[in-house]
Amino acid sequence: MTDRQTQPILSLRGISKSFGGVRALSDVSIDLTPGKVVALVGDNGAGKSTLVKTMSGVLRPDRGQYFFEGREVHPAGPAAVAEMGVQTVYQDLALCNNLDAVQNLFLGRELTGPWYSAGRIRRAEAERRARDVLRRLRLDGISLTRNVGAMSGGQRQNIAIARSILWEPKVVLLDEPTAALSHSAAAQVGDLVRELASHGLAVLVISHDIHHFVLDNTDVIEVLRLGRNAGRFDSKAVTGEQVVNAMVGGDAAVNAAG
Amino acid sequence: MTTQTVDTPTPTATPRRSLSERLGNELRLLPVALGLLALWLFFATQSDVFLTSRNINNLLVQSTVTGIIALGLVFVLLVGEIDLSVAATSGISAVLMAKGVVDFGLPVPLAIALGIGLGVLIGAASGRWVTLIGVPSFVVTLGVGLVLNGGQLLMLPNTGRYNLLDTGVETLAGTFVSGPLAWVLVMFGIAGMLVLKLADLRERRAQGLDAPLMGTVIVPVGGVALGLAAVTLFLDQQRGLPMPLILFAVLLGVMSYVAGQTRFGLYLYAIGANAEAARRAGVKVDRIKITAFAIAGGLAAFGGILAASRILGVSVSSGGGVGGGALLLESIAAAVIGGVSLFGGRGRVIGALFGALIIATVSNGLNLMGVANEARLIVTGLLLVFAVSIDRGIERLAGPG
Repeated sequence: MTDRQTQPILSLRGISKSFGGVRALSDVSIDLTPGKVVALVGDNGAGKSTLVKTMSGVLRPDRGQYFFEGREVHPAGPAAVAEMGVQTVYQDLALCNNLDAVQNLFLGRELTGPWYSAGRIRRAEAERRARDVLRRLRLDGISLTRNVGAMSGGQRQNIAIARSILWEPKVVLLDEPTAALSHSAAAQVGDLVRELASHGLAVLVISHDIHHFVLDNTDVIEVLRLGRNAGRFDSKAVTGEQVVNAMVGGDAAVNAAG
Repeated sequence: MTTQTVDTPTPTATPRRSLSERLGNELRLLPVALGLLALWLFFATQSDVFLTSRNINNLLVQSTVTGIIALGLVFVLLVGEIDLSVAATSGISAVLMAKGVVDFGLPVPLAIALGIGLGVLIGAASGRWVTLIGVPSFVVTLGVGLVLNGGQLLMLPNTGRYNLLDTGVETLAGTFVSGPLAWVLVMFGIAGMLVLKLADLRERRAQGLDAPLMGTVIVPVGGVALGLAAVTLFLDQQRGLPMPLILFAVLLGVMSYVAGQTRFGLYLYAIGANAEAARRAGVKVDRIKITAFAIAGGLAAFGGILAASRILGVSVSSGGGVGGGALLLESIAAAVIGGVSLFGGRGRVIGALFGALIIATVSNGLNLMGVANEARLIVTGLLLVFAVSIDRGIERLAGPG
């Protein structure tokens, strides 16, 4: 059990979800707490993506409860969840390579001038706000005016994450942010993830990279196996081997019982 | 390779960018501009007539119809589509305009508005079809073009031609603005650009962003002012500024603003690069695409009307004849030579000007040299392949390091 000074902001209780005859999640529970980074780990098919999609409102669970800020909610869809203050960054990032960081950060939410300007973009204000956000996240190294297509994978990932927090959500869900990155780029993303938590956000990260990412950059490790909770660890007090054992069910006791 | 610029404490880190990356962005038009300069120097040495005021006037007017159609195509190309019916649209819209004037005695401005309206409608309909069913745009617009060719033949009288001499339509292309009035026009254009750039500068400073007067205002406005002044000075030796050129310049200015400064313009680029990302960000992708097609249709119609006014009539061969002919190919070539990517999301409106100028220069210069038509086609074709290859090469080099 981990220490909890604050109440969880987002909790799922007893979530079950089936696709046809296949049970993807069985009675899964998870808590996200402000200022904490939770790693969601598990083997392929363990139900990580299904769980994140349930949190982001893309999927509706068959059974179980969704609590947000202490109240039970029944989100109608992804837009409603985003409206509550829960942002999701998917693996494909959804960036436009021919636009710069400012344009990507504000895409779909441009600040525009009066009607007679025919929708002129208030570039200066957007650029200043983008600069402030990147500074606050210690991402000063990212150029505002360079096309993101010319940037490194870590910078692109960080821009996608920065975009999700531009409108000040309370929870950020990151779907495998380090999947395609080198160790140094993953370290950049790790810095950002911890920075987000230090600003009081609750963060959930799906990652396969136990040794180089999860142990160093998260507070709690939540393990899923075959659609069930298979252990919750304090990242500071656990070894990579223990986590992997929980993921694959390689624990001696489990083997003996099975 | 990753760019290591983390340690710079500057507010907005500007990493040193490679030449190839800059050629992919703000210097994208540099190769075309240099190519145009080289062509002009070459033809100036080959023909005494080339650099005369009269010939330059001809060359510029020759470039306007192709240029205006290419200008509309830029919008469709930016969203990653293509419109192969623009030449046919220009033809049928010009015929509708002529029919209105000759058969029904409509006032000229109304007939012109009708023609442009038809073009907008055709473009919007093609765009709707493309976005609704998901048929590739080159197939839809290829078919639409043939349908329009048929419609054009049906609308023409038995003689196959409407004569527009002494109808008032010919003044559209035949008017020249000279002397003080020409300079007032030029000043007006420069002042408009200056106001916009100064607003940029003021806003950037108000937000505490760096905004060098030189780079933000003086260089861009000064460059445009010099270019306009040179052209005006040169053409004023003869008859002044031809109306088609003035209209082309105004359209270039307006469309540059639309594509470069407005939200609609940004969405064109976003859709061209990653339509799915744009859709998820809340962009109404279909609506933007339909608007792009409508703009292309409207400008194509206007180009066709201008052409009709220049050659004093419309006929079977208006709009390049069946299939669009040289007019269609040269319009697409102009946009592409001007640096607009066929794959969407890259290029600038002003590229239509450079591309059209290159094509008109080759045609005009080779004519003066007495080279036959077949050589002109071969040179234009090679130029197109060459320009696109350069562009593709730069794009590759400018990709993620």
